[in-house]
Amino acid sequence: MKALLDRLEDLDRRWIYLIVGVGALLPLIYPLNLPVTITPPVRNIYDYIEKLGPEDAVIVSFDYGPSTGPENDPMAEAVMRHILARGIKLVVIALYPLGGVTMSQLSLDRVAKEFPELTYGKDYVNLGYKSGGIAVLKAMGQDLHTIFPMDLAKRPIADLPMMQKIKSYKDLKLAVSIATGIIGEWWANLVNAQYGLPVAVGCTAVSAPKYYAYLRSGNMLGLMGGLKAASEYEKLVMDGYPALRRIYERLNGPGAGGGYTAIKGMDVQSVVHLIIIAFIVLGNLAYFRSRKRPHHSEE
Amino acid sequence: MDDLVGVWVAALLTLGLFSFLYKDNPYFRFTEALFAGISLGYYIGNELGNTLRPNLLEPLRQDFSGNLHLLIPTAMGILLYARYKKSLAWLGKYSLAAYVGYYAGYNMILKLHGEVLPQIQSTILPLNQFSAKFFHTDLIILIGVLAVLVYFFFSKEVKEGELSSQVFAKVSVLGTWFLMVSFGAAFGYTVMARISLLIGRFNFLLNDWILGTFARF
Amino acid sequence: MNKYKFPLVLCFFFGTIPIVAHFVNVEWVTAPSKALNDTWMPIIYVFAILLGIVNVVQNSWTKIKRREQGWFYAVVLLAGLFSMGFFGFTGAIWDTFGGTNLRPDGSATPFHWMATHMFIPLQSTMFALLSFYVASAAYRAFRARNLSATLLLIAGVFVMLGRVPFGDMIFSWLPGAENTFSGITEWLMDCPNAAAQRAIMIGAALGAASMALKVLLGIERSYMGKEQED
Repeated sequence: MKALLDRLEDLDRRWIYLIVGVGALLPLIYPLNLPVTITPPVRNIYDYIEKLGPEDAVIVSFDYGPSTGPENDPMAEAVMRHILARGIKLVVIALYPLGGVTMSQLSLDRVAKEFPELTYGKDYVNLGYKSGGIAVLKAMGQDLHTIFPMDLAKRPIADLPMMQKIKSYKDLKLAVSIATGIIGEWWANLVNAQYGLPVAVGCTAVSAPKYYAYLRSGNMLGLMGGLKAASEYEKLVMDGYPALRRIYERLNGPGAGGGYTAIKGMDVQSVVHLIIIAFIVLGNLAYFRSRKRPHHSEE
Repeated sequence: MDDLVGVWVAALLTLGLFSFLYKDNPYFRFTEALFAGISLGYYIGNELGNTLRPNLLEPLRQDFSGNLHLLIPTAMGILLYARYKKSLAWLGKYSLAAYVGYYAGYNMILKLHGEVLPQIQSTILPLNQFSAKFFHTDLIILIGVLAVLVYFFFSKEVKEGELSSQVFAKVSVLGTWFLMVSFGAAFGYTVMARISLLIGRFNFLLNDWILGTFARF
Repeated sequence: MNKYKFPLVLCFFFGTIPIVAHFVNVEWVTAPSKALNDTWMPIIYVFAILLGIVNVVQNSWTKIKRREQGWFYAVVLLAGLFSMGFFGFTGAIWDTFGGTNLRPDGSATPFHWMATHMFIPLQSTMFALLSFYVASAAYRAFRARNLSATLLLIAGVFVMLGRVPFGDMIFSWLPGAENTFSGITEWLMDCPNAAAQRAIMIGAALGAASMALKVLLGIERSYMGKEQED
C-alpha cells in the first residue's frame, strides 16, 4: 500500500485522463438509469410556467454558445418543450455572439418538429441574434420591434401574427435566459430589476454559485444550474406530459436513434464524479504520507 | 450523405483536438488553428447578417432620408478602425470614448440598482420573525455577508491589547470560512460543468459518428 | 480644447445620458437614451467586435511573410477565417448560397454547414478538454493542507456527491433520509454560498460603479491609450 501511494504521487497525468475517459464512455454504452431528484429552484420555474396558458408569451434567450452546449442545450429544449406543450407563445432570441444564434436555430428546429400542429409566426418565432448586450436588453424594454425589425429568416416581424401583440417586456409573462457567463446576470439585474419582468435563468454549473445570490434577492424566480438541473426539468416535463415522456423515452434510448439528454448525461456525470472524488482521496493520502517522510519538499 | 460527410468532418476535428491529451502534435495544431480561423469567420456572418443588415442596411435601403441618423453610429464604428493608421489614430478615440462612456454609465446604474440595493435589501430582514428558517438560513446569511465584507473591506492590523482589532480579525477569519465553503461549492460545480462538456462530445462520437455510420451501411 | 480632451467630454456626455434617463422619466430626456439603445449602440458594437479580426489577419500575415516558426498554421487560420468569412459576408449581405441559416427546405447553406460541422464541434471539444485538466488538478492540488483548505475540500466533495444521484443513494436505505446529500448541498448553495457570493457581489458592484464614475469624470482614462494617461 505504501509503495502504491509513493507511486501515485508521480502518476502520469495521462493515466488520469484515460480513467476519466473510460469512466465517461462506459455509462453511455451501458446506461445506469439513475433516479433524478427535484430541487426547489428548478421546480419553481416549472410551476410558474404551469400557471401560464395560450394567451401568454414567454421569451427564451440563447445566451450561450457551443462551448457549453452539452450543459445548456438540454435545459433550453426541456423548457421550450414545456412552453410549446402548454400552447404558450414562444419568442426565441440570442444574445451570445459566438454561436448563440446557431444553437437557437438547431434547438428550436429539433423541438418544433415535435409539435407539427403549431405554426411558425403564430405560435413561436426566432428573432435571431442581436449584438450590443445590455443595450439590446434595455431597448427591448422600450420597443422590441425597433431592435429586432426582422426575424432570423429576414421577414419583418410586424408580419408575424403573434408579434403584433408583443411589443415590449410588458407583453411577456416570463423571460428564460439559458446562459453562460454574464448575460444571464443582465436579465436578473437589469430586466427584472428595472422592468419587473419575472426572470428564470438556466446557467452553466460554473456560474451557478453566483446566481444563488440573485435567486435569494428575488431577482430570479428560479434557477437551473448545470446538467443536473436540466435533468430535473426533463423529469418534471416527463412526469407532467405523456407526449413529452414519449419524446424523452425515445431520446434516452441507446444507439444512433437516440439523442442527447441531461438524464442520459447524468449517468456519466455520476460515475466521473466518483472517479474524481476517488482521485482526491488518493491524492490526499499520498500527500499526508509525503508529509510524514523526513525530507518532504511540500510547500 | 451530406450529413454523413459533416459528421465525419466533425469527428475528425474532435479527435484532432483530443489528441493533445496525449501530447502536442501537428494534428492538434492544425485543428487548433482552424478553430481560431473558423470562429473569427463565424463572427463576420453572424454580426453582419443579424445586426448590421436588419438594423442598418435594410432601414437605409428602405428609407434613406428617414434613417439618416444611422450614419452617425456607422461613422463612429468606422472611426474605430482609424487606430490602424498612426496619423489618424486620435480620430478613433472619439468613438471609443463615446462607446466606453455609454457602457460605463449604464453599468453604474445596473450595478447599483440591480445588484447593490437588492442584495442589501434582502440581507437586512426584520429580526422579529423567529421562525426555523430565520435560524438556519436568514441569520447565517446575515452573519456570512457581514463577515465576508469585514474580511474584504474592513480588516485592520491586529494590535496586542486592542479589542476592536482582535474582534475584526476573528470576524475576518469567519469570513474566509464562508468564502472557502463557497469556493469549494464552486469547484464542485466547475467539475460538474466540465464533465458535462465531455459527455456531449463522447455522445457525439459514440452515437452520431460510430453508431450513426454503421446505421447507414 | 485639444483633440485629446474632446473625447473625454464625449465620454462624459454619452455616459450621462443613460444615468439621467434612469432618474428622469420625461420623454424628451429619455428619447436620446432610447435612440442610442435601439439603433446606435448595436451598430457600433458590430464594428467594435469585428475590430479584432483585423489584428489577427495582420499578425498571421506577418508570420507567413517572414516564414516564422509555425507559419503553416497561420495559413490554416487564415484559410478558415476567409472561407467562413466569405460565406458569412456574402450570405449575410446578399443572401448568396441561400444566406447564413438553413434554407426554407431545411437544407444547410455553406455557412450553416460549416457552423454545424466545424465551428460547433471545434468549440465544444476545446472546452471539453478542460474536463481532463480539472480531474488532474483535483488530484494534484485539492489537498487538506489547513482548516480553510479542508473546508473548501469538504464543500467541494459534498457538492460533487449531492449533485449526482449516487449521493442520495448512500442513505436511501434509511427511511426519511433519502434526500440527505441533495438537501445538504442545496442548503450549502442557498445559505453559506449565497452569503459569500452576495458579499462578493456587493463589493464588486461598488467597485465597478466607482470605476464607471472615474471613467465618466475622466479620472480613469487608460482605455484611451498611453499618451492620454497623464
